[in-house]
Amino acid sequence: MKSHISIRNVNAFYSDHQALKGITVEIPEKQITAIIGPSGCGKSTLLKCFNRLIDLTDGARVSGKIIVDDMDVLNHSIDITDVRRRMGLLPQKPNPLPMSIYDNVAYGPRIHGIKDKKKLDQMVEKYLKIAGLWDEVKDRLKSPASKLSIGQQQRLCLARGLAVEPEIILCDEPTSALDPVSSQHIEQQLLKLKNDYTIVIVTHNIHQAIRLADYVIHLYLGELVEHGPANEVFENPREERTRSYINGTLFTDLGIDKEVNLKGNACPYNFVYAKQALHELSKGKVLKLIVDDPLAVTEVPRGMEADGHEVLSVKQINRTDWEILICKQS
Amino acid sequence: MDRLLEEKFFKLLMLLSLAIVVGSLFMVVTVIVWKGAPVMTISMLTQTSKGGYYLGGTEGGILNAIVGSLYLGFGSMFLALMISLPAALALQKDYIGRTKAAYYIRLSLDILWGIPSIVYGAFGFIVMLYFGVKASLLGGIIVLTLLQMPIMIRAMDEVIRLVPQELKEASYTLGATKLETTAAVVVRQALPGILTAVLLGFGRGIGDAASILLTVNYTDNLPGSLLDSAASLPLAVFFLLSMPSPEVQQRAYASALVLLIIVLALSITSRYLSRRFMKNIIR
Repeated sequence: MKSHISIRNVNAFYSDHQALKGITVEIPEKQITAIIGPSGCGKSTLLKCFNRLIDLTDGARVSGKIIVDDMDVLNHSIDITDVRRRMGLLPQKPNPLPMSIYDNVAYGPRIHGIKDKKKLDQMVEKYLKIAGLWDEVKDRLKSPASKLSIGQQQRLCLARGLAVEPEIILCDEPTSALDPVSSQHIEQQLLKLKNDYTIVIVTHNIHQAIRLADYVIHLYLGELVEHGPANEVFENPREERTRSYINGTLFTDLGIDKEVNLKGNACPYNFVYAKQALHELSKGKVLKLIVDDPLAVTEVPRGMEADGHEVLSVKQINRTDWEILICKQS
Repeated sequence: MDRLLEEKFFKLLMLLSLAIVVGSLFMVVTVIVWKGAPVMTISMLTQTSKGGYYLGGTEGGILNAIVGSLYLGFGSMFLALMISLPAALALQKDYIGRTKAAYYIRLSLDILWGIPSIVYGAFGFIVMLYFGVKASLLGGIIVLTLLQMPIMIRAMDEVIRLVPQELKEASYTLGATKLETTAAVVVRQALPGILTAVLLGFGRGIGDAASILLTVNYTDNLPGSLLDSAASLPLAVFFLLSMPSPEVQQRAYASALVLLIIVLALSITSRYLSRRFMKNIIR
């Protein structure tokens, strides 16, 4: 296994909050690497460090080294536009640029100096074909990208990212905003692309990780819990936390036994109410908590784990609210 | 039942407010058209004023005021746009938007926005006196530019800030620089709002009388160069209305009507343009 991205002791902070804690891991070349873990665990932050998009976030700081092709991405003296060109990003929500379908794909090549109309035409066609969108849009390349369906927009974003001819494709939960058919479409394209590109996909959908990944990195609350080849991690995880995350996520698909809304409660009351709610459940049942106190997002899961319960997932559901799933153990 | 009554009452109140707005606008337009239209002849639009505006002459037309106002309006709009757009773009988060300086710049622009135009006029007058320049078209254009800049910058700033961060990120991830992103994505996405900002500035510029009273003065002649004094529609309204004779006063309404038509024409054009540009915008 040849390493393509080498992450060495990376720490990331948002103001006072440490989002990544000393991550050291290698990402293999021309394979699909899935970064899994509950939302809020630092998956997207890690991805944003690769192309230094994290620079755009207020109060964000990163330390450590990320080596791609003998170049340290986190070194501020390098040409960041060149680093970003080598890494296509497929975002969580498709974000076509305010221009036509054609111009969306041609935008990247144009800024990197390709002016020849014929060459551009060829590239647009080539990458729309690779993204599996050409047949649907070949007659209306001049119409606005915003007129496409959301699934088509995501494939357009894929084509746009590929058109700058990157070596690495970063995907930040690329199917979470899509319907099942469009999601499947994207997954198929990614599987085809892995022969030519190193792909890193962030996902909280464990089924997707199982379907796609060759290599798995599990993060939890900013720490690297486990990493290794996908079959080893999924079938025989070394870490208890990975085991419970994988089982837990599969388990929660079965249903939630009780739901408690703790919005407006501060710590430690939300923890106390959560414990009371859990008390009424029998072992193995799942409790869903909704919290809006930022402290609760980390402290409630910690407290619950300290009590011996299993935290299945912590997920941000909108701008203020988080959903915590807990499986009663003792 | 109580709540339904409440609902009806407040709906009525809102509709009443709307009626006041639309009604007063309608009345303004009606009065101006009613008073101005009868004297709107071809010669009114194609001849300059004869016989001295200050003597209450009724000969000739108001071409001098129309030409002067078009020069002042478009000249200052163009100049203000050239300065305001880069300034507004610099206030983005990607440039200096996060700094304390940006906060104070916005604050001072808001204050400048509220300063009465006669103060700009007085300022321009003092500066021109100091340099020994006499009242001229150029002085008026510069003062009107100063008047419009805070409006344009703040209005543009607001729409530019509304450009979604994801759009900029999409451009950055493709390896674009800040400049490329700003020019190709931000300006494009914010274009309808930028046009509105320009229109806001233009409306204030072409309609302002106080600031050009001292800096451009008024004349019956067409301006031959930027250093000549010139007439303008708002000042035509001001001078002609203050005459006792009703015939002269009617000419003031004709000037107001022309002013109204110019602003309306530009407004409709920019609506049309922005609808064409809107096609690609991400909502």
